[in-house]
Amino acid sequence: MSTPVIEVENLNLTYGDFHAVKDLTFEVRPGELYALLGTNGAGKTSTLETIEGHRTPTSGTVRVFGHSPGDRKAVRPRMGIMLQESGFSPDLTVRESVGLIGTLTRRTDDVDRVIDVVDLTRKAGTQVGQLSGGEKRRLDFATAVYGTPELIFLDEPTTGLDIQSRDDLWNAVDRLRENGSTVVLTTHYLEEAQQRADRIGLMHQGVFHHEGTVAELTRTLPSVIRFTLGGPAPALPVQAIVGADGSVLVETFGLQKDLALLLGWAENHGVELRDLSAGPTRLDDVFRAIES
Amino acid sequence: MFAIARTELIQIFRNRLVLVTSFVIPVAISAFFIYRHDVFSQVGSLGYIAAIVMFTVGAFGLYTSTVTTLASRRQNLFLKRLRSTAESDAGILAGLVLPATVIALVQVTGILIVLSAVVGTPDNPLLLAVAVIATVAMMIGLALATAGVTNSPEHAQVTTLPVSLGVIAVASWVGITGTEELAQVKRLLPGGAATELVLNAWNGGAALSDSLILLAPTFAWVFVAVTFARRMFNWEPRR
Repeated sequence: MSTPVIEVENLNLTYGDFHAVKDLTFEVRPGELYALLGTNGAGKTSTLETIEGHRTPTSGTVRVFGHSPGDRKAVRPRMGIMLQESGFSPDLTVRESVGLIGTLTRRTDDVDRVIDVVDLTRKAGTQVGQLSGGEKRRLDFATAVYGTPELIFLDEPTTGLDIQSRDDLWNAVDRLRENGSTVVLTTHYLEEAQQRADRIGLMHQGVFHHEGTVAELTRTLPSVIRFTLGGPAPALPVQAIVGADGSVLVETFGLQKDLALLLGWAENHGVELRDLSAGPTRLDDVFRAIES
Repeated sequence: MFAIARTELIQIFRNRLVLVTSFVIPVAISAFFIYRHDVFSQVGSLGYIAAIVMFTVGAFGLYTSTVTTLASRRQNLFLKRLRSTAESDAGILAGLVLPATVIALVQVTGILIVLSAVVGTPDNPLLLAVAVIATVAMMIGLALATAGVTNSPEHAQVTTLPVSLGVIAVASWVGITGTEELAQVKRLLPGGAATELVLNAWNGGAALSDSLILLAPTFAWVFVAVTFARRMFNWEPRR
């Protein structure tokens, strides 16, 4: 088995009396997209910033490419970081900003090529202070992927982006992954993590509530069938919660079987299942289950 | 370091407010002192004029602009951004401080050359150069320390006042009254020993060994300021 890109062992982070991260242990393998998710205040930003080298662990060890994340000369040329907040000087242009950060990463690339990847070529000579929020996120992404690093941290990468820009960003991430880059992602858009992550670490109150593939996480909760009855109907063939307005919610671990039963029942009794939807448990449902 | 310094220089010249308040006004004040050198040399001495122009540039051109720059770069997370790269902390700070330092040195040198052309050359130019370099080092140290307790560029307008006005006041006190009385107190105050060094270098009349020992209090201030900065300096805004 290949050596992990990131190894976190018994990580603890405290701020005064507040224990933000408690004995966290996990690893990120080469080439995978690992999503670090969590409820607000779960400790994911603290964890991420410790791996990036912005914070020092209270106890425990963090290794990136086998080095301490604080060893910038060894680690940073191999990793690109997209911060959650802008962090650019408003008086510098897009080209100057990408050139500066790119130079300081010690990676080599063509500044104009990177700017083109994030579709900011027309803004290359514009000062950062005049960019929109979405354009700043794209600039941030440009500095993170400058020189095609082996490891990329994406902290809320699509916040503030329109749909086209999101698609473009994910296409760029896909190309980086095809080249072997490892990606660590945090996001509030759970459907993005569900669609793209190989594995997910789901944090709650400083510890992992779940860790594994999306399928492993959602397997613990039932799939859902929803529809509305237009009027009186005979007894349903499956267990369900029926609302006063005729809405029906079926939670099942046998989605295909129960859906077939319901469709057959509706056909036989001439019942219309309005607004019918059926699907596996989403990460949103896992989050709601944790928070409740 | 030099990539950071280059972009800092670009930003200085793009930000007219910083350019005027930190670099044009100190030169204008210094020009006034040279223009009225007959009055100020009677109040103090020619060495006093040299000391006051040096501290005017050091306090307003170097110290204040450095504190404001560091607070601004911290507030907009530019420092955090720079720390996300392979550059060391020392390299980042050096790059941020270098342009203002070079500009201050060029300004002081130019102003003192003009003063020499107007009133005559200093008694010991080499000693004067040492005094200028020691003062610049002290002002940078004090700037790093002050940046540690400064939350924003707006806050810098308040936090820089004690040191910037203080060193000007000390330079004026020492330059006008000399060090016959309260010599130890004056030399231990920030800028006091450096002012006396400039007076000795420009006016002459003091043994070189007596002058060089005046470097000790100045470098002691550098040590104190850097020690304070190491404890207090934050790379990210306080949350």
